[in-house]
Formats: sequence, C-alpha cells, structure tokens
Amino acid sequence: MDLGTIIWNTVALFLTLCIFSFLYKDNPFYKFAEHLVVGVSAGYFAIILYFNGFIPKVWEPVTQKGEWWYLLPTILGMMTWARFSKKWSWISRFAIAFYMGIAVGVAIPLEMQQRVIKQLHATMLPVHFTNIQGVWNLLIMLGVLCGLIYFFFSMGHKGVVGGAARLGIWILMIGFGAGFGLTVMGRISLLADRITEIHNWYLMVTKALWGF
Amino acid sequence: MSPIFFYLSSWFDFNRINVLVILGLFFAFVFYFINQAKKGKSLFVRRISGLDAIEEAVGRATEMGKPILYISGIEDMDNLQTVASMIILGNVTEMVARYDVPLLVPICRPFVVPVAEEAVKQGYIKAGKPDAYDKNNIRYISDEQFAYTAGVNGIMLRERPAANLMFGSFFAESLIMAETGFSTGAIQVAGTANIHQLPFFVVACDYTIIGEELFATSAYLSKEPKLLGSLKGSDLAKFLIIIILILGALLETFGITKFSSWFFVR
Amino acid sequence: MRREVPIVICFLAGFFFISDFFIPEPHWTQIAHRVNQWAIIVIAFAYVLGVGNIVRVNSQVIKRKERDWGYKILLLSGLVLMIILGIGFGIKEGTTFNWIFMNAMYPMQATMFSLLAFYIASAAFRAFRIRTWEAALLGVTAVLVMIGRVPVGEFLWRPFPDFIEWIMNVPQLAAKRAIMIGAALGAISTGLKVLVGLERTYMGGE
Repeated sequence: MDLGTIIWNTVALFLTLCIFSFLYKDNPFYKFAEHLVVGVSAGYFAIILYFNGFIPKVWEPVTQKGEWWYLLPTILGMMTWARFSKKWSWISRFAIAFYMGIAVGVAIPLEMQQRVIKQLHATMLPVHFTNIQGVWNLLIMLGVLCGLIYFFFSMGHKGVVGGAARLGIWILMIGFGAGFGLTVMGRISLLADRITEIHNWYLMVTKALWGF
Repeated sequence: MSPIFFYLSSWFDFNRINVLVILGLFFAFVFYFINQAKKGKSLFVRRISGLDAIEEAVGRATEMGKPILYISGIEDMDNLQTVASMIILGNVTEMVARYDVPLLVPICRPFVVPVAEEAVKQGYIKAGKPDAYDKNNIRYISDEQFAYTAGVNGIMLRERPAANLMFGSFFAESLIMAETGFSTGAIQVAGTANIHQLPFFVVACDYTIIGEELFATSAYLSKEPKLLGSLKGSDLAKFLIIIILILGALLETFGITKFSSWFFVR
Repeated sequence: MRREVPIVICFLAGFFFISDFFIPEPHWTQIAHRVNQWAIIVIAFAYVLGVGNIVRVNSQVIKRKERDWGYKILLLSGLVLMIILGIGFGIKEGTTFNWIFMNAMYPMQATMFSLLAFYIASAAFRAFRIRTWEAALLGVTAVLVMIGRVPVGEFLWRPFPDFIEWIMNVPQLAAKRAIMIGAALGAISTGLKVLVGLERTYMGGE
C-alpha cells in the first residue's frame, strides 16, 4: 500500500471525525470541516456545471458546429449577472421569468397526470364485503376521501366535514408513523457504513505499520 | 383510422385527453373564484394553526432580539414547492420587517438567490422599510445537499435564531436541520409536500404545514382576495375528485369499468 | 417594461410547454426540447451569481474581522482551489480535483448523512412521548412498523410482518395518495398564478 493512499485515507478519517464531533457540540474541528466542505463543494459544483453545462451546450455548439442560436440562451444566462449592478438588476428578471415559465409549464400537466389522475385511477377499485380485498379497497378510498377533506380550506372543520377531517388527520398520522418506522432501519445502516470505513482505516494502518 | 383523425392525432395526443379535460376544468374553477374575489365577494378560509404560529415566532424573535432563519429547501426553481416557498418568503419578510428582526436566508441553489433577493426586497418595500433590506442576509451556501446542511447547522448554532421557518422541498437533510434547530431552542415551523420527510418535521418541529397547506400559505398570510379565490377553486376541484372517486368505485363494484378506464394514464 | 415583459415571457414559455405535453407533432416537440436545453444553459450562468454571493458575503466578514473570519478564509480558499484545479487541470478521474472530491468532500457528506442515525433516535424518543391522540397514532404506528420489520416481530407474533404490510398498503397508501392529490392541486394552482402574473414575488418591488 503506498503512502499517498494512507495519507488520503487518514485525511478522510480526520474529516469524518470532525463532522462527528458536532454531536458533542459546536467546536473548532466541526467549524473547520463545515467551512471546508461548503467552500470545496461550491467550487466543485460551479466547475461541474462549467464542464457539463457551458462547454457541451454553449461553447462547442457555437464554436465547433456554428449553431449560433445557442447564443440566445447565453445572452439570457448572462442577464442574470445584471444582479451585480444595483441599477441594472431588473434585467435579470427576464432570465428568471423565462426559466420559471419553462419550469412551471413542464410541471403543471405532469403534476395533473402523475399525482392526480394516476392516483385517482388507482383508487377507483371495487368495494364490497365478499372478499377481504374489497374491504381494504373501501378503507383506502375512505382514507383518501377523509385526507382530502382535511385539505379543504374554505370550510370550517365543523360538523360532518369536521368529523371527516379529523379522521383524515388520523390517517395522515398513521401514514407518518409508518414512514418514520420504515426509515429508522435505513438510517442506522448509514451509520454502520461510516463505522465500517473507520474500521477499514484501522486495518489498513495497522497492516502498513506492523504488517498484520 | 380516418384521415381527419390521423391528421388531428399528429397535433393532439388523444391518450392525454383526460389530463386536458381535468386541467381545463381546474383552471376554470380557479379563474372563476379569482374573478368572484375581485368583485368583492368575501371568502372564508379556515384557521391553519401552523401558519398563525409564524407571527408568534416573529414576535418571540423580536422579544429575544434574535434573527429568524428561513430555509427554502434544497431544490431549484423548477420545483413548484420552491416557487411556493419564495412566495411565502415574501409574506414572511413583510411580517418580519414590521418587527425589525433580521431575516437570514441560506440558499442551496444559485438560481434561487436572485428570486429570494427579489422576494425579500419586495417584502421590505411593502412593509414601508426598503432601507432595512440587507443583501448579505441572503446567502448561497452550496448545491451539495449535506454541505448545505452543514452550513445551515453552523448558522443555527452560531447565530442562534429564535425561529426556524422551513418551507419547500426537503429530503434527508430535513431531520438533521430540524433536530439541530430543536437543540438550539428555536420555535420551528416547517412545511413540505415531500411525503417521506413529513414524519420527521411532524416529530421534530413545533408546527408542521402538510402538503397542500404549503401552497395555501401565501393566500392565508397575505389575505389577498385573488389568492384566496384560488384556494376556493382548488377546494371545488377536490370536491369534484371526491365525487369522481365515489362514482368510479361504485361503477367498478358493479363491473362497469369504462368510467375508471378513462382515467388510465398511458 | 420592467414588470410587463417578464410576465409576458413567463406566460408564453409556460403555456408553450403546457401545449408541448399534448402536442406530439415532431417539430413542436423538437423546439420544446431545444428550448428546454436553454433552461440548463441559463442555470449554468447562474452559478457565477452563486460564487459571487459566496465571495461577497464571506469577504465582508473577513474584511470586518467578524466572528469566525479565519474560517471564512478557509471556505474561500476551498472554493478558489477547486475552481483553479478544475479549470487548470480538468475534472477526470485521477486529477487532484477528483481526489479532493473523493477523499474530502465525499466522506464529509457521507458522515453528515450518517448523523441521521443519531437524530432519528432522538426524534423517535420525542415521538414516543405521547402528548396528543394524533401523536399517539404516529408513535404507536412507528413502533409497530419498527418491530414488524425485524425478525423479533415475527417471533413475538407470527402474523406481525403481514400486519405491517397491511399498514403500508392500506392506511399509509391512503395517506400518501391524499397528500399527493392535494399537494398537486396546490402546486398547479400556484404555478398557474405565476404564469398569469397573479404571483409576481420573483420580480421584486420596483
């Protein structure tokens, strides 16, 4: 094993422990790691966007393929830089409006299709008492109905609506509890991964130093 | 297939007619009630206790002389939750400006920075205090989820905000932030439509805004009739969905599948 | 000009992309695809804003020698170092840029993520201190699911795993769908208000 690998792994271990030290309280080691990760990651993403966004989507099409129309979004993109000037910052609104228009326009029909109509179709199932699945279908449908009634804003939660909304919030709470319980195990396995990394470092260093 | 249908089908995807019809109806409902509101018809909106708590949190921050932290989630402006969060940020700023409390806004995506700056600036202008706007309080941290979390945790621990308001699209970082905020003793109000993160906010925060409530927040806080009108439109759409669901299930029970199959997404 | 033009741009872009969802005509789709690519380009330019914001905010702390100013030097050094390494020597595997990502950034991110194990434990502790009926429902369901997902659940009560499956497939599914449908309607309504200029917070006040 070469010295470089050992040094880099030791750096990784040191930074891991710096972050873990946060569990005790805020301290200089955590501050060190926090500022380092923030600075490095901001630089990392700016560069990744430069290589994966600007170079293949602007520079190469314009300079190598002569696709000059890519200059249009370039101008729009550069409009965001107008924010550096107090006087001209309003120009950036054109770029913001363009991006938001696209984003919202793409999202609206998809939300309706995937999150409303698809869910509606999946809930429209036969409800009856001849077999157990029919009963569960009924419960799912009632759960969805009561959940939706909870989200009514222009009616007070009183009377029948209030009762249904209360049942709705209970269903939501059961759902949240189930989600919480389900996630616990996954989160603990993340910690196990980090502890394994620390153990691997220990094995690597002992092997390098003492040969076992 | 007739030639007319063939021609039309190259200009319209008939598999998506269900989306067009329901979307059209939804738009009609929303615009109808916005118009009603514009004509001066009063519109009732039920109490949402989590949103009333924002005012309480701002008041507490004033008493303590501490800042308020507003976290807008980790997604870009292409996520409608971030869009909603920016609108709420404008409303919150207006409230904060009245109390003269600093508002800190750490941001995860660079494109959200100018939007947040405009929202905050507008909030201060609306409150009649344009000079109170401090550009340096809107801070881009990092695109990376956990680098952003580390940065936000640092702000929570060192600047000790009296209130943490978290509105937007959150993922695994939600619990780390909410628990850190809890440990600093801040009042916490969080809202998201991300189903997997809602349980953590419910457990770790004082108040949680669930799903659609996030999108109703702006109307609720601003009390602007036009926006309240859109809430009413949304409610009518939900009522229609409930009718469709009951009808669909009943027809399915009696073996009539044509109705439900119209809603099938291809 | 300052307010109307952005609203018109937003409206046209938005409704063009809504129409693209319904129109399969190849030319139309191709234009939409190209314009969508433009959005990525606009975003790429915004990174200059992000970097500018970091430099402005942190350099002021350093200049005024405010609290933790030394750490801000570290932050800016990390930022500048990555930019120089990336532009100067590339980002491919084996470059120093990539090494720093793998050995500094990655372990710190992973550790930050793993902190969740501790936080979920403390959150669970609070969840189980039952204060209201709603909290009780959440806490009890969480405990049941946790027990049911490990072998001890089946040991305690044989049909335990099936019961947990039922919780996931009936009440949890209903809750998920209700939230999803409601949130989608709210999102569409918000989006619509942005497109028609009823919500124009993003454009500021002047």
